[in-house]
Amino acid sequence: MMNLPVGIQSFLKETGEISRFSWRFFKEGFSPRFELSEFIRQCFVLGYKSLPLVGLTAFIIGLVLTMQLRPTMEYYGVEVQIPAMVGVAIFREIGPILTALIFAGKIGSSIGAELGSMKVTEQIDAMEVSGTNPFKYLVVTRTLATTLMLPILTIIADAIALIGAYLGENIYDTLPFNLFFRKVFLNLAYIDLIPAFIKTFFFGFAVGIIGCFKGYFTDKGTEGVGKAANSSVVVSSVMIFLIDLVAVQIADLFQR
Amino acid sequence: MKARNIDVFKLGAFVLAGIVLLIFALYTLGKNKNIFGTRFELKAHFKDVNGLLVGNKVRFSGIEVGNVRKIQILNDTMIEVAMNIDKEYKNYIRVNSITQIGTDGLIGNRLIDIVPQKGNAVFVQGGELLPSIEEINNQEILRTLYHTNENIALISEELLTTVRMINSSTQLSRLLNDSTLVDNLSHSLYKLSETTENASLFAKNAVQTLKLASEGSGTLATLLTDTSMANELRRAVSDIHALENNANQLLNNLTSTVETISSELHSGNGVANTILFDSTLSIKLKSTIENVERGTAAFEENMEALKSNFLFRRYFKNKEKEKN
Repeated sequence: MMNLPVGIQSFLKETGEISRFSWRFFKEGFSPRFELSEFIRQCFVLGYKSLPLVGLTAFIIGLVLTMQLRPTMEYYGVEVQIPAMVGVAIFREIGPILTALIFAGKIGSSIGAELGSMKVTEQIDAMEVSGTNPFKYLVVTRTLATTLMLPILTIIADAIALIGAYLGENIYDTLPFNLFFRKVFLNLAYIDLIPAFIKTFFFGFAVGIIGCFKGYFTDKGTEGVGKAANSSVVVSSVMIFLIDLVAVQIADLFQR
Repeated sequence: MKARNIDVFKLGAFVLAGIVLLIFALYTLGKNKNIFGTRFELKAHFKDVNGLLVGNKVRFSGIEVGNVRKIQILNDTMIEVAMNIDKEYKNYIRVNSITQIGTDGLIGNRLIDIVPQKGNAVFVQGGELLPSIEEINNQEILRTLYHTNENIALISEELLTTVRMINSSTQLSRLLNDSTLVDNLSHSLYKLSETTENASLFAKNAVQTLKLASEGSGTLATLLTDTSMANELRRAVSDIHALENNANQLLNNLTSTVETISSELHSGNGVANTILFDSTLSIKLKSTIENVERGTAAFEENMEALKSNFLFRRYFKNKEKEKN
């Protein structure tokens, strides 16, 4: 154990600490008392307030994806399949992963910075002194909010991306909305939608728990706050890809 | 603590929008796969389902009416496919409709086509086994196409050779470039037409003659029916026969004579041999002829002398006068 390089040692140490932190979340999250009003506030701040950014990126990616696919699809003479292909791409992968990454960028950093600054200004210690459980109040509510809001954001982002794709399709072609819509859904199955939807809970949880962890254990003053914000985005983004990798393997097992 | 400046209404709308969209997506997918519709079942048996999967579409006359619910192997040569069909199509599908496995587009998913047939069979009630026909195998089509292509390649190769031969043929080129050919051909055709006309005329005449002959009038009829002429002909023929016999006899005599001469020539005896080969005879004959010539010359001299004789001079003068 002691012979391992310092980098690996610190990586393993952090992994262990995050795991313990997550365990603590489950332990405290499902035992009273519940900070319901703070949870709702976090849902509003983390979920609803992220919608414009997520919606805009989803719309653009839907539009761009359709336009980018068109030359290749035309080359093979299957441009009629663009709606089906865009639909599969959005529902299965682009919708969830893009929303999660944008969410990680916006929310992961804000949670890390917020909790980090609370930590360095000793607000967390003050909460403990005042009898409030800071873990319940800060970590559980935020993590639960990200876990539940990201799937909703993803579904809305999918819908917006489809609208973008519809517009992208109609730049070069004329396709009625109901036909476009039908073409998208005719090619989809539950196996395309459900695993993609389920994995967004994990993405949300990863963003929330890593953001909280990084913020909750910030030290070294204001410099530490910046570091916490930065590393929470980096680590949660990497986690999103790792979870996606595992999720695709599992979904693939069901598809066979 | 932070001020609770949240808009619960907006949050509610946001969450609700997400849930509604999710339910809507799930419902639409389910509807496409006929999960929520009212359905009935039809079955079909196939030898080979060619990659058909559960959930693939079922079409009736090109309209999507349902999907494949179950694919089950009954035995080593029979596969049962159970289909879920929307109830609204119950009054259109008859029990004699034929099912076949097709493809959605050229490279699309497999599907089942229900093809209506002629006749007033009853409508399906649910659970019926529809008759099926096996799909035309792509491999089969490709194999046939391959053979056709091979044949076309062979034909085109032969055609190419022929065309090359035509192009390189000087005779043909001369023939094609010959401007008089058309005139000649036209002339020949004209002649052919004339000949045909003549042939036609001849045939007409022949018919007429034969008709006359059959009626018993005309030269041909006479030739064919006159007995006296026939007798004369017969006689003439017998005379020719007699002549032929005499000629034969003559020929035989001639042959024997020639043979005799020939044998004499070979043996060295006889008159012919003496005439042709006896050198003494020829010498004698030569001297005889010389004597005769000498005699004749002497005689001529004597005659000239006689002419100038006064006794005969008068006679010869008179002769000359008569001649002039």
